[in-house]
Amino acid sequence: MFDQAKTDDPPFDHGRLLDVLARADAARLMALAETLLPLLDAVEVVQSRTGLVMLPMRDTVQGTDFHLGEVLVAEAHLRATGCEGYGMVVGRDLERAMAMAVVDAATACFGQTPAISAFLQSEAAAQAAADTECLRAIEATRVDMETF
Amino acid sequence: MAYVATRGGARAIDQAERLYRAELGQIDAARVDAVRRALPMLIDRVMGEASLYEPDLAALALAQAGGDLYEAVLLLRAWRTTQPRLAIAEPVRQEQLFTHRRISAAFKDIPGGQILGPTLDYAHRLLATGVLQGRPYSPAPVTPAATAAPAHQPSLAAWQKAQGLVADPARTEVAPDAIPDLTREPLLFPAKRAHTLQSLARADTGGMLTLGYAAMRGYFNAHPTVNELRLAEAEVRVTHPRGTVFSAGRVKVSQAEVTSKGKSGQLNLGFCATLGWNEVKVISGATLDLNAAAAPKGSPVEEEFFLYHTEPVEASGFCIHFKLPHYVTFQSSLDALRGAKASAAPQSEQVPS
Repeated sequence: MFDQAKTDDPPFDHGRLLDVLARADAARLMALAETLLPLLDAVEVVQSRTGLVMLPMRDTVQGTDFHLGEVLVAEAHLRATGCEGYGMVVGRDLERAMAMAVVDAATACFGQTPAISAFLQSEAAAQAAADTECLRAIEATRVDMETF
Repeated sequence: MAYVATRGGARAIDQAERLYRAELGQIDAARVDAVRRALPMLIDRVMGEASLYEPDLAALALAQAGGDLYEAVLLLRAWRTTQPRLAIAEPVRQEQLFTHRRISAAFKDIPGGQILGPTLDYAHRLLATGVLQGRPYSPAPVTPAATAAPAHQPSLAAWQKAQGLVADPARTEVAPDAIPDLTREPLLFPAKRAHTLQSLARADTGGMLTLGYAAMRGYFNAHPTVNELRLAEAEVRVTHPRGTVFSAGRVKVSQAEVTSKGKSGQLNLGFCATLGWNEVKVISGATLDLNAAAAPKGSPVEEEFFLYHTEPVEASGFCIHFKLPHYVTFQSSLDALRGAKASAAPQSEQVPS
């Protein structure tokens, strides 16, 4: 899987990288993190915990921002080789959040190596495919009320 | 909620709890997983009322409570207090929702079109009794369209504001950490709109339906028509320590706007949203919001009335506390009754002159 990246693929910006990592398949993300961990020296775990993120929403009538409710997340924060890595994922999976933080730290230290780049390309493609499949099913329910 | 300071009767109390839990049997991960997969609508309802999004924990709460919704919500609300608040996400915007269902009953032709999404709105409701006779019910698969629906749909209200059909009040930008938060401050009246909408988001579905239904049947001023109903997934956008904003994942949300003709020549809109997919709740809540502005004091569509009476943990807790010992207060009532009777007795025995 990792050798499928094209060399001319542009690197992911940090926001897109984190988006993809947070939604990546857990087993594949942890497998990548395992391969990157030996490259990082003096790993210091700053934080590994579950907690709450309050989710606000904007009212469409008066434009008022209000709190919809809280979302349980897993958070990981580490320092290694003078770089910081951070992971946060919806849910309770601390290992997934830590794996995200390891990949983030490795990217901060060494840039988007071929292995990381291939992983990002592959996961982004899988996520896009899943969205497309979902949206094709949704599109099947489109209705024309003029002919209803 | 319960009286935890009671003394005596410890053995009976212990055995009573055992008797209750014996009915439920062993709760294990397989049962929780089965509840989560089999009952997504119920999971959504519990998460919305608990104001905590975590499907596994909601399934556990339901399993542990034996399906008693108020107990499940209480368990989740209590567990939530053990967790630190890590961040406040960026506000969810309607036009950024990954939309699964989006319909309008007021306008046939809306920008972006109408998408039924997952619904039983036009389906026959027939009980599949064959399942009990060994014939599994297997739903027919969806035949996907050749092209994908747009992930994001435009806001109908924004289009209506641009057309001058509804008022477009100026909004004030509020930093996420300055948004009023009911979990950290009391609900006071007249309520801030942010408090009203947060309270509706975590309110009891059945209670909202009762009060909303009364308004829908004509007991109050505004009869609702669904302007837009949306079931969607929202990105939870948080900030990395280096300042980068990213999505930590998606959560299911529902929102509704209902409309009625206003006196100013424009349409009035009511709004409600909640965590999870729960159409009855958001339509009822939007109906209450629509009616609240013109509600007379003490009416069920006045915000003080409906917000106080649809808080699930407070309401259910107050209801069931009445079965707990009230011997002292009730003895006082009895004493007063006997006193009144005693003081009235000589007068009744007086013979008129």
